[in-house]
Amino acid sequence: MIGLRNGADSTLMEMFLDFFANTGFALADYRNFIMLAIGVLFIYLGIAKHYEPLLLVPIGFGILLGNIPVFKGLGLGIYESNSVLHYLYFGVTSGVYPPLIFMGIGAMTDFSTLLARPVLMLLGAAAQAGIFLTFLGALALGFAPNEAASIGIIGGADGPTAIFLTAKLARELIGPIAVAAYSYMALVPVIQPPIMRLLTTRQERLIRMEEPRQVSKRAKLIFPIIAVLLCCFIAPAALPLLGLLFLGNLLKEAVVTERLAQAARTSIIDSVTILLGMTVGASTQADVFLTGKSIGIFILGALSFCVATAAGLLFAKLMNLFLRTKINPLLGAAGVSAVPDSARVVQMVGQAEDSTNFLLMHAMAPNVCGVIGSAVGAGILWSFMMG
Amino acid sequence: MQHNGFSMAAVGITIVFTALVTLSLIISQLHKLLTFWDNRAAWKQKIFRMFGPQEEEAGPAPHVYHVPGSPESARQFCLLIQATGEPFSLPGLLRTAEACGIRHPYAKASRLIEEHLIIPDQKGFYVWNHAEYDRPAKRSR
Repeated sequence: MIGLRNGADSTLMEMFLDFFANTGFALADYRNFIMLAIGVLFIYLGIAKHYEPLLLVPIGFGILLGNIPVFKGLGLGIYESNSVLHYLYFGVTSGVYPPLIFMGIGAMTDFSTLLARPVLMLLGAAAQAGIFLTFLGALALGFAPNEAASIGIIGGADGPTAIFLTAKLARELIGPIAVAAYSYMALVPVIQPPIMRLLTTRQERLIRMEEPRQVSKRAKLIFPIIAVLLCCFIAPAALPLLGLLFLGNLLKEAVVTERLAQAARTSIIDSVTILLGMTVGASTQADVFLTGKSIGIFILGALSFCVATAAGLLFAKLMNLFLRTKINPLLGAAGVSAVPDSARVVQMVGQAEDSTNFLLMHAMAPNVCGVIGSAVGAGILWSFMMG
Repeated sequence: MQHNGFSMAAVGITIVFTALVTLSLIISQLHKLLTFWDNRAAWKQKIFRMFGPQEEEAGPAPHVYHVPGSPESARQFCLLIQATGEPFSLPGLLRTAEACGIRHPYAKASRLIEEHLIIPDQKGFYVWNHAEYDRPAKRSR
């Protein structure tokens, strides 16, 4: 009897130990805790500091989900082919989510400031220099060309574009690149102002912009059709992103499709943002994420962002040498496509010098052009790497 | 490295610039093209006067709106009314027009009432005057 009880006790103990060996507490190592802390930090920044909460909260929570240690083989981890998270992650790796987000952005964006002053498009183009200079920097640091292209696109300051290109070129880097891109987008109000003050004089920051001319509804209706045809004929690889961006915009401008535009700018973009943010966060498993490469990506990403901002500012100053009516060079910083954060930063820095100078509306022109420019840039890099 | 990074970067930024500069050039001329399209009847007449037979000139001058933006307003509101249905209340129409981003909806609606394109249905609502809108003289819309 006693022997039997001892046997039962040992079996119970074995079962308990087996169970414990499979819990997160036994499987975790220090890297999991570092990532969990980063996840909590993202959630904190999103909720308490209001830094891009719509992105940082799902990404932060995804980081928590991806870094709870689980045993392999049960189909729980995002990299296990039969897991639920893996199926949701398919939208990222196949490049489905970013174009859907672009459709929502298109349905929200008013291109009238751009149509009123098309010359400001050049600022959006100039800021894309950050992408290509960082691409060179990454090559110099020894990254493979496909990885260098994915890192360079962080300078476009466009999360969906960065994820789309990385999914096509360097799938294993999606986690670090997406987190870097969204982190820097959230930090636009911190990163950009010092560069803007450094590269412009007070007189330049005080320049007032002319009132833009009125744009007819018909011009706004025709613009997405012309833009998609032109840009996709020049850079066909940008078609998935630009196609849906301009479709969303056409739905918005064609009054008769208001219901579809409403769906694109609310339910579709919101659902996709949740899935994208959560799965990208979950893809940052400690063993994949905490590597030397990730540190390189973060450094180059920051550099890329700074170079893009500086390129926009300097190009605006260059344009002023030739323009009769000067433009405020701060607008150049809005050429990075963090919509509308970088335009807001331009307004903030401009108003710090003159509280009656309103630059927001004008800054939206290079800002939305930055979205187009970075998508074209991504398409070009993709076609180069495939070629 | 198989490809030359410098050439890829140089070609890449050049293509981005080319795309956006071409787009900006086209959209900077867009309003001129639209104005030309709106006045195509006048241009046609001018061309007829220059090259066409003399009797073409004798015909009655077509009625053309002289209020800038009016044909476009009519088209916008016509589409809007088709989407919302008839009869409609004027405040409701104005609210929808504002929500759809139509500029100066009050002024435009007032103009359309003056032009008898929006007419009361005698029951407290309004309807679109299809007969007036489809009049051949105003087909330039």
